[in-house]
Amino acid sequence: MADTAPFLGVRVAEAVTVASDEAMLVAELRAGSEEAFAYLLAVYQTPVYNLTLHMLENGADAADVLQEVFVKVFKGIKHFHGESSLKTWIYRIAVHEASNHRRGWLRRLRHEPFSLDEMGSEPAVVGAGSGNGIKTPYQLLEQEERQQLVRRALASLTKPYRSAVVLREIEDLSYEEIAQILGVAEGTVKSRLLRGRELLRRKLASWLGK
Amino acid sequence: MTMFESCIEIRRHFSDYLEGRCEPVTVRSIRYHLGYCEACRAEWECCQSVREDLRSLPRQQVPPELALRLRVKLSQQLHRNLLSRLLIRLENAIQPRLLPGTAGVLTAIICFGLIMGWQTVPVTNAPDVPLRFWTPPRLLELAPVNFNTDDQSVVVVTQIDAGGRVRGYTVLSGQDSPELMQRLDRVIYFSLFEPATMFGKPTEGRLVLSLRRITVRG
Repeated sequence: MADTAPFLGVRVAEAVTVASDEAMLVAELRAGSEEAFAYLLAVYQTPVYNLTLHMLENGADAADVLQEVFVKVFKGIKHFHGESSLKTWIYRIAVHEASNHRRGWLRRLRHEPFSLDEMGSEPAVVGAGSGNGIKTPYQLLEQEERQQLVRRALASLTKPYRSAVVLREIEDLSYEEIAQILGVAEGTVKSRLLRGRELLRRKLASWLGK
Repeated sequence: MTMFESCIEIRRHFSDYLEGRCEPVTVRSIRYHLGYCEACRAEWECCQSVREDLRSLPRQQVPPELALRLRVKLSQQLHRNLLSRLLIRLENAIQPRLLPGTAGVLTAIICFGLIMGWQTVPVTNAPDVPLRFWTPPRLLELAPVNFNTDDQSVVVVTQIDAGGRVRGYTVLSGQDSPELMQRLDRVIYFSLFEPATMFGKPTEGRLVLSLRRITVRG
């Protein structure tokens, strides 16, 4: 107990610092500081872009949604009272906007089909699992194909399962944060994750012939 | 230790097991089951593999043109009201001219100061010819003649020519007895006057004198 007390003290101090930093950032954003918005963009534009990409599977739509999300953040920051973290709030807006955009996208899809392969053509940041070891061209091709299959499998999930899986597995958010973002109970998040993972596993197993 | 009855039962816990959210008892049961059940072990490995695949998906970087578009859009939103838009325009218009403008004003002040410093005329006490437009005639010295008007002053207007000589005079007020006029003649005609000047040149002028008593001793 005596050993854990200082450790807990540090963690609490860190949490307080993070909270006060975020409160300061929110205050700056409310005041209309251009620097604060630049900082917000620098921190959140890439995660939000990736989230919307996984939700919409289309770079152009994700770009549109990204802009809508940050305009909404800009307009809505006066109404943000810190009930959740800023990150959770922004993600909630992003998921909501992506869902709204997806409805329109589904309507358009009936008239103009598009290829999921186009997602792979965009410049990518090295992923967590790519490792530092040098890979042969065959391994790189295999990895690329596998990633495309995973994306296709993810795209085949319905919206509730997909958003839960993306937020947990790709964005690495906690159950509590996901529950806040999706506006559901933690139990629902758990069951959606269970079902989403199961669907993904089945889909990938059938495609990979396992 | 609670043991799972079937593979279906254990597989329901895979998601929680993956997250590390299972009770220690459940964890032990799952481990025990996976130790002998090959089918469940294969499925568990598949679950882990899916998770790794998802986590290894590369993060897409926001295209630079999109990032720029986003910044411009937010900046437009930020300066939507008329006043701040005007201020921005004013700032944009002034800023390029601010440095050269300030430098110009400072240079002008310095030049002005230097020029004014060089042109300062040293002040001297030397008498000089007054260069004003017009100066009136002046009495330099009264004639040494006794004069008394019995406590009633005499006011006279004297006409002084360009040489400082008295051309004549007129009594404006006071006594005008022949005796007083005789004494006044002597006082005025023997006094010294400085003539009036026009642009520094002597000219004719009039001088008003008020006399009451002149006492000469010695």
